[in-house]
Amino acid sequence: MANLISRMVTATAAAVTRVGTSALAVAHEVGGIAVLAGRVLRRLIPPRLDGRELWTNLFKMGNGSVPIIILTAFFSGGLMTLQSAPFVQKFGATALAGWAAGYAVLREIGPILIALMFSGRVGANNTAELATMTVTEQLDGLRALAIDPISFLIVPRVLAMIVALFALTVLGDLVALGGAAIVAHTVMGIEWATMYYSFADNLAPYDVLHGLYKSLAFGFAIALTSCYFGISVKGGSTGVGRAVNAAVVAAAVSIMLLDFFLTYLTG
Amino acid sequence: MSTPFIEFRGVQKGFGGKPVLRDLSLDVQRGEVFFIIGTSGVGKSVTIKHLIGLLRVDAGEIWFDGQRVDGYTEQQFEGIRRRVGMVFQNSTLFDSLTLADNVALPLRKHSGLNTRQAHAEALNLLRRVDMHDYALRYPAELSDGMRKRAAIARTLAGKPEVMLFDEPTTGLDPISARRIDALIRELADTMGVTALVVSHDLPSIFGIADRVAFLYQGRVYSIGAPGALKVNGDAIVKQFLNGESAGPMETPGF
Amino acid sequence: MAIRQSIHRSIYNLGSKAIGAVTVVRDLWLLFIGAIAGVLRTMRRNDPSRRPGEIWRQMHSMGNRSLVFLIVTLGFIGMVMVYQSCLQLARVTGDYSQVGPQFIRLAVSDFAPTLTSLMLATRVGAGIAAEVGSMKVTEQVDALRMCGVAPIDFLISPRLVASFVVTIVLSILACGIMYGAGGLTAHYSFGVNLNIFFDPSNVRNSHVILGLIKAASFGIAIPIVSGYCGLAAHGSSEGVGRATTAAVIGSSFAVIALDFVISTLALLVMPGGV
Repeated sequence: MANLISRMVTATAAAVTRVGTSALAVAHEVGGIAVLAGRVLRRLIPPRLDGRELWTNLFKMGNGSVPIIILTAFFSGGLMTLQSAPFVQKFGATALAGWAAGYAVLREIGPILIALMFSGRVGANNTAELATMTVTEQLDGLRALAIDPISFLIVPRVLAMIVALFALTVLGDLVALGGAAIVAHTVMGIEWATMYYSFADNLAPYDVLHGLYKSLAFGFAIALTSCYFGISVKGGSTGVGRAVNAAVVAAAVSIMLLDFFLTYLTG
Repeated sequence: MSTPFIEFRGVQKGFGGKPVLRDLSLDVQRGEVFFIIGTSGVGKSVTIKHLIGLLRVDAGEIWFDGQRVDGYTEQQFEGIRRRVGMVFQNSTLFDSLTLADNVALPLRKHSGLNTRQAHAEALNLLRRVDMHDYALRYPAELSDGMRKRAAIARTLAGKPEVMLFDEPTTGLDPISARRIDALIRELADTMGVTALVVSHDLPSIFGIADRVAFLYQGRVYSIGAPGALKVNGDAIVKQFLNGESAGPMETPGF
Repeated sequence: MAIRQSIHRSIYNLGSKAIGAVTVVRDLWLLFIGAIAGVLRTMRRNDPSRRPGEIWRQMHSMGNRSLVFLIVTLGFIGMVMVYQSCLQLARVTGDYSQVGPQFIRLAVSDFAPTLTSLMLATRVGAGIAAEVGSMKVTEQVDALRMCGVAPIDFLISPRLVASFVVTIVLSILACGIMYGAGGLTAHYSFGVNLNIFFDPSNVRNSHVILGLIKAASFGIAIPIVSGYCGLAAHGSSEGVGRATTAAVIGSSFAVIALDFVISTLALLVMPGGV
């Protein structure tokens, strides 16, 4: 009996220690990201960054992601229409098909899915690139040339990611509405005009804006997490994989948290 | 003897509680080709990284050109880094840029040249190291020796008074290695660049060094001209120079 | 002339991309068949790739380690979805009675498996590609072959089984979390009665089956796509980074595309039923 109790106490203590250690680890990462955010912001006023790096990254991150974002947006628009199908078919309420799909896509599903895909493609890639540069001492190489790695590497990437994700979300919104209409037409036999008026009558400009300003915040979060885990990598080729893994997970968590708080704060 | 150009006084540095440098003191004169030698893991690279603030001392002093620099902030080190260039062991050329762009980067940043001028100057620098035929190639397409030479050109772009070389000949074939040696010597002789070279490549030590510091157990064990090192009767120095596996030297991990 | 050349070139590029895509799909399919064969082979008692406990280890690393991540992300997204729906209804009718029943129908048949798998694609997919990719670039995969062990049986098959089970279990769990978090949001922010919200009468067997089919297919797709990316890694640390990135984007995209295909098929097979 006493043995059992003492074992339970040990097990509880171990569990508490584990929870405490992982809480500390999370706090450590969050603190690191906040410090990086501060450093980036300090270099923005007045702007000290490399223009060429900004353009290359904008091109690489923005243009390179267009195909995957178009596909994702098309599917997410279509999916939302499919989900509203039973309701619409049951009540014959075809005029509402565009409302349900459009509302869900513009405000939530579109920005979130696009941000997750962006994080998977651009964020992960960026982490891998920075992590490789870090393990091969290229960051020290920059510092040895008296070039500040933050303003040369990080600031342009952060700005490029924010701008690219915003632009891609605008594009994605359009494609998603198109996808919704195409699926409604081909699968459910709803007329193009019905779909168009359903969008036009039921969706307010604010629905679009709501999704877009959230995408700005998502872009900032993806940029910071991916840069942070890239430059704080440790240990060779395994380390690079681990860093990418940690970065995409952190980005997904921050996207969901930000989404909740921004929605709650602004409606 | 004049006051030393670079001086380490009793520098200590540890990583994760494990001391690497225990009490390291050495001095380098202006225009010298100075070698820091020793077995792997003894802290040779660690030593030179302190001079440009990539690492910070735990205790001790570092003096550069009459100024004490070990307590400098990151901003103050920027000034040092413009006078002291470093060629890293794995070259650290930026993968995403061509050789010319790599060399042009510090020029664009510091010399106020526009992109076109920086590019022209980069070609000149690449010509100095015989790499101008490869100016538009990417680092991944080149051999180690070529990358090393391009990295030297990039460091030269900052017109440094001192150049730090971290194992410049390690992993190179003997021909490439001697060409790098010749280049270091030439920079010192023609441009007065002080060179601080970390190495365990014996031919380069005896080929181009003015003076050599032999590191052992976190301290300078022996310092002097390479010729003097050769005739030094010390058992540990002898074991290193002859590359004998058995001897009095304690090497961690073996 | 130049225009014609550039048109030719772009047709050529498009063609080679299409062929590339077909090759990838074929290789994924072969990997899938190989991994299933590996599962069957390793069931034999004296197979060299048989490692007792490996599936459990994988399930632990995929499932238990994703738990907190999933609870946080899906809890919040459940809250947001219900919040947005109520907000919209407040503008139109102000009748919240259908929010809960409709939400649970959607959660069961789509949101829970899809969002869970998207999150797992991020975490598990990246993990698989990083592990397998590091082994590939450090030539451990070749070493396996030299020891007479089939790399697919050894590396992919246990992950396939583990991911299959874990994705289904976590999808069910995630459904509960979304539903619970959503209900609390509706209750505390819009004063919806909890009994009205938590009314599952809308959920039919076909919804549950559809949700499980989705979870199962995503659970298979993630390790296959990520394992493929890991095995295709080459180079050094850059190669591992590239493989990990490709795995995240590839398995996320596989989840979304499969979701679309399965949802469309379900609607066509059972109109009005789903």
